[in-house]
Amino acid sequence: MASADIQAVKRRIKSVSTMEHVTNAMKLVSAAKLRRAKATFERTHEHFMYLTHSIAEVFNNAEEVPELYLEGSREIKNTCYIVITGTKGLCGSFNTNVIKEAEREIMKNDSHPMIVAIGTKGRDYFAKRDFEIVESYISPAETISFLDSQKMSKPILTMFNEGEIDEVILVYTSFISTLTQEVKTVRLLPFDIQSDPDIIKHDKPVEYEPTVEDVFNYMVPKFVEITLYGAIVESATCEHAARRTAMENAAENANEMLGELSLYYNRARQEAITNELIEIVAGSEAQQST
Amino acid sequence: MANSIKLEVITPSKVFYKGDVELVIVPTYEGDEGFMARHAYATKLLDIGELWVQEAGQKDFKVAAIAGGYVDVKESIILFTDAAEWQEDIDKERAAQEKARAEGWLAEEKEHEPDDIARAQIAIAKSIIRMKVAEGGGRRRR
Repeated sequence: MASADIQAVKRRIKSVSTMEHVTNAMKLVSAAKLRRAKATFERTHEHFMYLTHSIAEVFNNAEEVPELYLEGSREIKNTCYIVITGTKGLCGSFNTNVIKEAEREIMKNDSHPMIVAIGTKGRDYFAKRDFEIVESYISPAETISFLDSQKMSKPILTMFNEGEIDEVILVYTSFISTLTQEVKTVRLLPFDIQSDPDIIKHDKPVEYEPTVEDVFNYMVPKFVEITLYGAIVESATCEHAARRTAMENAAENANEMLGELSLYYNRARQEAITNELIEIVAGSEAQQST
Repeated sequence: MANSIKLEVITPSKVFYKGDVELVIVPTYEGDEGFMARHAYATKLLDIGELWVQEAGQKDFKVAAIAGGYVDVKESIILFTDAAEWQEDIDKERAAQEKARAEGWLAEEKEHEPDDIARAQIAIAKSIIRMKVAEGGGRRRR
């Protein structure tokens, strides 16, 4: 074993251990961010579910839902896809999963796709493939406030009301646990209220004020805003969780590699020493025999 | 004692209030309206205004400023609003400053976007309500 080889292994060990430090640090950062994002997510998730349920119940029980928002009221020619990805990489398959699912969804329908990208990863991917991107937001998901999501949903609603788009589909990552996340596709508009089995239809008359129409005109945008905001918060949580897992794996791999390398290094060093000893012993024995 | 009904006041950032109440008074577009247990089902839009809550077994009302929204009355009451603040949490000075700023902006001699004008007017209405609520609310306590 040449000494040059030992040098190379030594250098390799150094570089791997630096890498391990970096991934470990990133893991800790993501863990801290995940904790914060999860707190926001848990705070908003429960009552958002509640709220969307309540809104859906109103939709389901009103006789005079404005037809504009109902399924089947018009032919679907243009579909708007809201794709929520991250702005940074190094988080495993988090971004690719969302993009793949969105692309599959786009291929499924033959309507003209228009894309609203939240997060740079999705924007870059679809821009490169010449999709029409109507709107993109590049700030990291965890910095987006409810007010921002209100601003985001406004142009979408305007386009929907003016007939430029006929369908709005939201693709985001849903948080199941710190270790598992799942990409979800949700249709925001138009509503398909009959298909939801969770919603009980009660036949009591409901008072609407000022008018049913006004109530709906208020609630539809609210529903979109809330769902969008909820999805953004959820995605941010997933991104941190995915990054934490990815970094943990990377650090683990680095440690494993370090173990193997140092074993190899020690063996090589030992071999060199043994060789030298053999030389000395052989030399002295040669002298004694003469 | 009257029956109580569950009330939940929800804002985008948190559950603002959750509890059993005897009476809740909300600012609908057609004037203030009170809801008690076993009210007919209703869904009403709310204006910027004062929210009065009488908790079960309490005599006094709790007062909060709310920034519009809707109320959904069923077996329980769900109230959604963009922003809500209890009387004791309101910073009166800041509300006054905000009002002055919005008014100053409107008085500027330049073209304003209609959306921005509407927003400024809403800001003024909100700060007026917040100042009113901070002083104990516009309604006389029973």
